[in-house]
Amino acid sequence: MSASKFQTLGTVVVVGGCGFLGNHIVSYIVKRHPQTQIAVLDLRTNSNRHTSSTVSYHDGDITDLAAMQKFFAQIKPDAVIHTASPHFNLPPAIHDKVNVEGTKNLLKASQDAGVKAFVYTSSASVIFGGAAELVNADEKWPLVTGDAQPEYYTTTKAYAETYVLEANRKPEGFLTCAIRPAGIFGEGDVQLLPKMVTAYKDGKTKYQVGDNDNLFDFTYVENVAHGHVLAVLALLSTHKFLPTVPIDTERVDGEAFFITNGEPVYFWDFARAVWHEAGDRLPLKSVWHLDTGFASMVGFFSEWAMWLVGKTPNLTRAQVRYSTLKKYHSIAKARNRLGYQPIVSLDEGVRRGVRYIIEQDEKAGQKKGQ
Amino acid sequence: MVSPKSIAYYVFHPNELRSIIQWKVWHNPVHERDEAKDSENLKRCFHFLNLTSRSFAAVIMELHPELLVPVTLFYLILRGLDTVEDDMTIPLEKKEPILRNFQDILEKDGWTFTENGPNEKDRQLLVEFNVVIEEFKHIKPAYREIIKDITKRMGNGMADYANNAEHNLVGVDTIRDYELYCHYVAGLVGEGLTRLFVEAGLANTALLKKPELMESMGQFLQQVNITRDIKEDLDDKRRFWPKEIWSKHVDTFEDLFKPENKQKALDCSSEMIYTALTRADDCLYYLAGLREQSVFNFCAIPQTMAIATLNACFQNYDIFEKNVKITKGEACQLMVESSQNLQLVCEVFKRYARKIAKKNNPHDPNFLKISITIGRIEQFTESIFPSQKPPVDQKSPASVEEAEKAKKQAYEDRWDLIYMTAAVILTVLIITGCMIFVAYLAGARFDIAYYELKQQVGELLGWIEPKAKAVEAVKVVTEKSEL
Repeated sequence: MSASKFQTLGTVVVVGGCGFLGNHIVSYIVKRHPQTQIAVLDLRTNSNRHTSSTVSYHDGDITDLAAMQKFFAQIKPDAVIHTASPHFNLPPAIHDKVNVEGTKNLLKASQDAGVKAFVYTSSASVIFGGAAELVNADEKWPLVTGDAQPEYYTTTKAYAETYVLEANRKPEGFLTCAIRPAGIFGEGDVQLLPKMVTAYKDGKTKYQVGDNDNLFDFTYVENVAHGHVLAVLALLSTHKFLPTVPIDTERVDGEAFFITNGEPVYFWDFARAVWHEAGDRLPLKSVWHLDTGFASMVGFFSEWAMWLVGKTPNLTRAQVRYSTLKKYHSIAKARNRLGYQPIVSLDEGVRRGVRYIIEQDEKAGQKKGQ
Repeated sequence: MVSPKSIAYYVFHPNELRSIIQWKVWHNPVHERDEAKDSENLKRCFHFLNLTSRSFAAVIMELHPELLVPVTLFYLILRGLDTVEDDMTIPLEKKEPILRNFQDILEKDGWTFTENGPNEKDRQLLVEFNVVIEEFKHIKPAYREIIKDITKRMGNGMADYANNAEHNLVGVDTIRDYELYCHYVAGLVGEGLTRLFVEAGLANTALLKKPELMESMGQFLQQVNITRDIKEDLDDKRRFWPKEIWSKHVDTFEDLFKPENKQKALDCSSEMIYTALTRADDCLYYLAGLREQSVFNFCAIPQTMAIATLNACFQNYDIFEKNVKITKGEACQLMVESSQNLQLVCEVFKRYARKIAKKNNPHDPNFLKISITIGRIEQFTESIFPSQKPPVDQKSPASVEEAEKAKKQAYEDRWDLIYMTAAVILTVLIITGCMIFVAYLAGARFDIAYYELKQQVGELLGWIEPKAKAVEAVKVVTEKSEL
């Protein structure tokens, strides 16, 4: 199912196209499929703008069904990539509104406007309940939501995924699928790399918890963008053969796919690679290895102590758990059905991502200096 | 003989001593062999096999009887070819035609070669090569064809290298050249053996359809040897580490051995080890295609030895100063573990991969790449022997509607329980009420029953004097009632 370089996707709406992932998807399409018309829909479109003439920007709120219907009727897209999601720390009501209601609105508006392909950005954590490890987990693993799911954000992502997949072939010409990326990082990410680089600046690289034998999936953002576009291409090509339905083992429509770098690494190895790139030169033998149980206990006490004085603790049990847990996935399904193959290796991704942070810091420093 | 040093070593490493004893005492070959029935010629062949390679001889001698002789001859033939190629005392114009036509020599009765230099350690094999040729006639034609084909391709490859003046001058240039060299000397052996296994029906034919796997089997072994033998090869004035790799770290090959470049040399060795390690998961995949135990052992033992050797060389500056080896105890343990099943071999790979990971230096230019390769070995192992099954579906709700339905269901279930309990209590009360009423109509004396009850409870708890008084009291009450 290899796509020729200049194959056009027609007209694509990228919802959340000014966000971290959305922006990379737009860049990827501009670079790899330059004949595609891209309409970016976001709440605010004043950041991360491309200058390419094929990209247009539209302010809009996906929780407003009427506005969405009007927008889709006007653009008449062939495909929709829905990456919009609120920050996971926001209150539950917002997740309900954006992830659940917003996704339903987009589905309705797309169905009305005759969209052919709808790709939803889900999350690998929809199968992760926080306690059980994930060892080479694939799409057969069941969703973990509701009471079993500690993050309400994740529950709503899973619900939205279900709506998207259930909407497949309703009507017949409307094809959907979901992409579940794991641990996205890269230029412009606000969660993963910046936190690790800050840990280095705060001198925290001297410690590490556990045996460091827990493989973990981290995914460079351009690979995730690549996965999304392959999904769009696969749905569009399925669309050409309507009403024929592909055989089960080749089917993309109505399916969810894990997308990772396909290069799970031991958790602390990734952190140390990031720190090295950020400038850390601490020799390996100077690193203190903390026992997991001991670190959990320290985390427990520091959580309470800091709670008493009203500060954020340096070490929490959740962090200990997260850094000693196996969490990686099999991407065999994406490889077989989407023809997915990571295009940027993990070490190249780390290099790009950390350099971006350093550049941004330098720019900020220069501004201050002026 | 056992040296005092090794005695001291095993006193402090009893586990390794245990492995040696275990191997010697408990290991039985899969196929027993009766040497008395061998012809004189064949005995001579086995003699040469033992002389040329002790480590390979051990595994070859335990092979399935169907393949024992063909593999022995295959090995001796390639060793003969190698002995011609290696010998720098033979002029090129003499060497080249022998290398290029070695497959035809195999059919020349009585052919021998006496022009090797006196220091060539396997020269006697070529001096008596007629015994190999004689035995070669007796094996099945299908095996003969495979061996001839590989001999032809390897001989031509070696001749090309011998002709390449640049190669002789600077050694191996690019990584591609390095892999091509390893292909000629080891990848082809992997192919030849695989074809023999499949021909004998002892391996899955699918192995032939995935040629990159058998290539990796040979590449892995050869690259590990080249990486380990850096010092030995330098002393013999040979260079196999490709320039493309060492030039990233030092300016000239000799700089690798200078004390001031210690860190650079280590970084360079890491890159060599990384290059070899990328083949490891293919090797496990290949082993999964073998059907017969002796063939499995034959293939698995050198592979686990190789990954253990990589671990011994990793981040170890000794390789630039001497020949680094795994201990005999470790080797015996590996042989025990590699002659059982694939799962155990995967565990061995994982164990050594993790040892390598523990020594991986974050400031090594190939740090993350090495880590990823190790992760791949572990993930591959998980893909064939999963340690985790998809968990039991806890039936988490998949949508808001399902969540609400589940919530409503739980709410309804609770009220159902309340209603049910209330109904049971009510029923009991009504029946009790009815019975009491019927009893009342029939003239039951509840006042007496109540009094008696009070009395008895009182007695039990010691409030009231028992017996007489009680009887008296009953009388009083009874009399009263008659009024």
